[in-house]
Amino acid sequence: MNLATYARRNLFRRRGRTILTVVAVSLAVLIFCAIRTFIVAWNSGADDAAVDRIATRHKVSITMQLPKKYIDELRAVPGVKIATWANWFGAKDPKARIPFFAGIAVDHNSWFDVQTDLVVPPDQLATWKQTANGAILGDNLAKALDVQVGSRLVINSDIYPGDWDFTVVGIYTPGSATADRNTMFFRWDYLNNDPRSVYSREHLGWMVSRITDPGRGPEISRAIDAKFDSQDDQTVTMSERAFALSFLGGFAAVLSAFNIVSLVILLIMTLILANTLAMSVRERTHEYGVLRAIGFPPGHIFGFILGESLLVALVGGVHGVAIDFLLINHGLGPMMAATMSGAFQHFFTPGWVLAVALGAAALLGLVAGAIPAYLASRLKVTDALRRLD
Amino acid sequence: MVPVQYNARSLWVRKVTTFATAFGIALVVFVFAGALMLGDVSRVLAAAGRPDNVIILRKGSDAELTSAIANDYLGLFRGPAQVSQATGLIGEIIVVVIADHMDGSGSSNVLVRGTPAEGLAFRPEIKIVSGRAPKPGTNEVMVGTGIAGRFKGLLQGQTIDLRRNRPLMVVGEFSADGGGYESEVWGDLDYVRNALGRQAVVSSARVRLNNPAEFDAYRQLIETDKRFSMKVMRESDYYEKQSAQTASFLKMLGLVVAILFSLAAMIGAAITMNGAVANRTREIGTLRALGFSRLAILTSFLLEALFLAAIGGVLGSALVLVLTVFVSFPVINFQTFSEIVIRFHATPAVFVKALIFSGVMGLVGGLFPAIRASRVSPIEAMRS
Repeated sequence: MNLATYARRNLFRRRGRTILTVVAVSLAVLIFCAIRTFIVAWNSGADDAAVDRIATRHKVSITMQLPKKYIDELRAVPGVKIATWANWFGAKDPKARIPFFAGIAVDHNSWFDVQTDLVVPPDQLATWKQTANGAILGDNLAKALDVQVGSRLVINSDIYPGDWDFTVVGIYTPGSATADRNTMFFRWDYLNNDPRSVYSREHLGWMVSRITDPGRGPEISRAIDAKFDSQDDQTVTMSERAFALSFLGGFAAVLSAFNIVSLVILLIMTLILANTLAMSVRERTHEYGVLRAIGFPPGHIFGFILGESLLVALVGGVHGVAIDFLLINHGLGPMMAATMSGAFQHFFTPGWVLAVALGAAALLGLVAGAIPAYLASRLKVTDALRRLD
Repeated sequence: MVPVQYNARSLWVRKVTTFATAFGIALVVFVFAGALMLGDVSRVLAAAGRPDNVIILRKGSDAELTSAIANDYLGLFRGPAQVSQATGLIGEIIVVVIADHMDGSGSSNVLVRGTPAEGLAFRPEIKIVSGRAPKPGTNEVMVGTGIAGRFKGLLQGQTIDLRRNRPLMVVGEFSADGGGYESEVWGDLDYVRNALGRQAVVSSARVRLNNPAEFDAYRQLIETDKRFSMKVMRESDYYEKQSAQTASFLKMLGLVVAILFSLAAMIGAAITMNGAVANRTREIGTLRALGFSRLAILTSFLLEALFLAAIGGVLGSALVLVLTVFVSFPVINFQTFSEIVIRFHATPAVFVKALIFSGVMGLVGGLFPAIRASRVSPIEAMRS
């Protein structure tokens, strides 16, 4: 019988306990991955934002608007390749098939030239330019509202009173894995020409620019803000990602709470592992005394216990990661993308989260084993032999 | 029945194991209680609403932020007999401004309320806790205690720009009985709306009724009036609705997490109790030989598991107390995209639920080990 056999047999001496511990570890790893996936999914809306796009909004508030002429001044700023603008409309389906979605009035001549990751067939874009009340919907949204190209669509807004009548002229599809699929775009001039938009007449909500050199983003942003600094409505320009995040600013705290909670589960896992190890070591103290007495050095005892802890943690970790991969990336994720319009379009555990989870399990396995291993290896042979329980 | 001290002492003998398991349970209880308290957002916000107060918004708007009402209508809202003429009506303007966090961790939206001179008298729950109330007609503002100290420019004596050359100057801090107002900045109605270029409108109107029971009559009167298209709600309903989405979302999320965590903690308890049974087979055999029944053994070990969980429950409750004292939690109001700061508020109900939750974990975790213990054969146990 060699050392490896001894270690292996030790593991199965209390089979029930080992199995329970492995189950606990894999459960903890699974929960850790799931929480991390949630955080990643929540941020993915912001991650869509391309690095070569910057957004400009009113410095004071997202609800305040900028004069329409700002877009021309913005386009003259060196480094701005192409720019467009949008107004928030907000949208509610009067039939309440879905609770609320993003309705945005945009410049039909430039919007999709800037938002290149939203793909619209050229003929539909051409129709849009001919149709004053034309709207282009994300494919998920169109499905949820049960409309096709050519359908009539009546929408209410939180901001503008009454019914708004649209003709669906196009359906856009995502050009990248994380692009949004749940927004309705319609023509800004349709909104602006309506008497109900009196408070935002000839004003725009925000501007988006593609810049010539992604590396010069901050510099160009400063140049834009400097241009409007002396005017009545000042602006703040940031990466499109930061702009998307600014809507969710208040959620930072929820995400940090989840961050902490994901560490709590790892702590619980470590406690369970350490407890199992401590119990095993206590039961075997007498044997370790025997091993020491027949000549095994303390380092060996230390190695045995640490190795056992690492092995249990790793086996649990691999199971947890594998279950997460099957359950979320091949079950829950596609299901959520298909059924929940908008909220969690990209509910997938990225590879790096799985790797981190496995690494954390291994590391905490070592941590949990370290103290029992150290104490057992330092025990005097005579003391160990005297212990019987 | 086996004496309870037997279980208590057994737990004490295995201090390390007991503590590790109980601490695991404590962490789960902590998460569970945190989720329960987050679910109280609605209660916190609804506290600002009075049953005899009515809020009027433009039909189609769900929040004050997106509503607009022409000034001319305010007199018509005040006319009906149901309105208390003593306190009457106030029209206010709402805007959100972006402010940078004090600790440099990005920025959030802050809700600014422009209120008329009568705005304070209309809400007796508002109390100035430091500084003074803003003078009507000036650019002075006061900041709610919930957000005071959280944002740059919102400390007393500092200013925050509403527009170029239109600064708001902070002169005081107010509390509002823990309601949602505590996460707002209050200034002068006319100053704020002039700065926004919206002199002719207010965002919302609030009306005090003579009697809460007259709400339906008043609502009927205003909502069916052809001259305007308005929505009339009780103030308390309005606040509850404002936060219902955020609250139920957070609570659901938190409870799902807590229940998943509890599975891990129950396995932890099962491992510990299993170990306890295995190590004490001889003792169990002795007890059986002394005449204790299987049921007594089962009860005894279940009790031990319950003790173990109770230690965890108490430890967890202590952690929760720390949370309520030191942590306030900012969440986003989906309707206004502005920040509401919640203070964790532990009611006795939270602790009771937390203890019950830990007890359930102990019982479920300890059930199989206890059954195993009750099946120990006295003869074989004594022989081993």
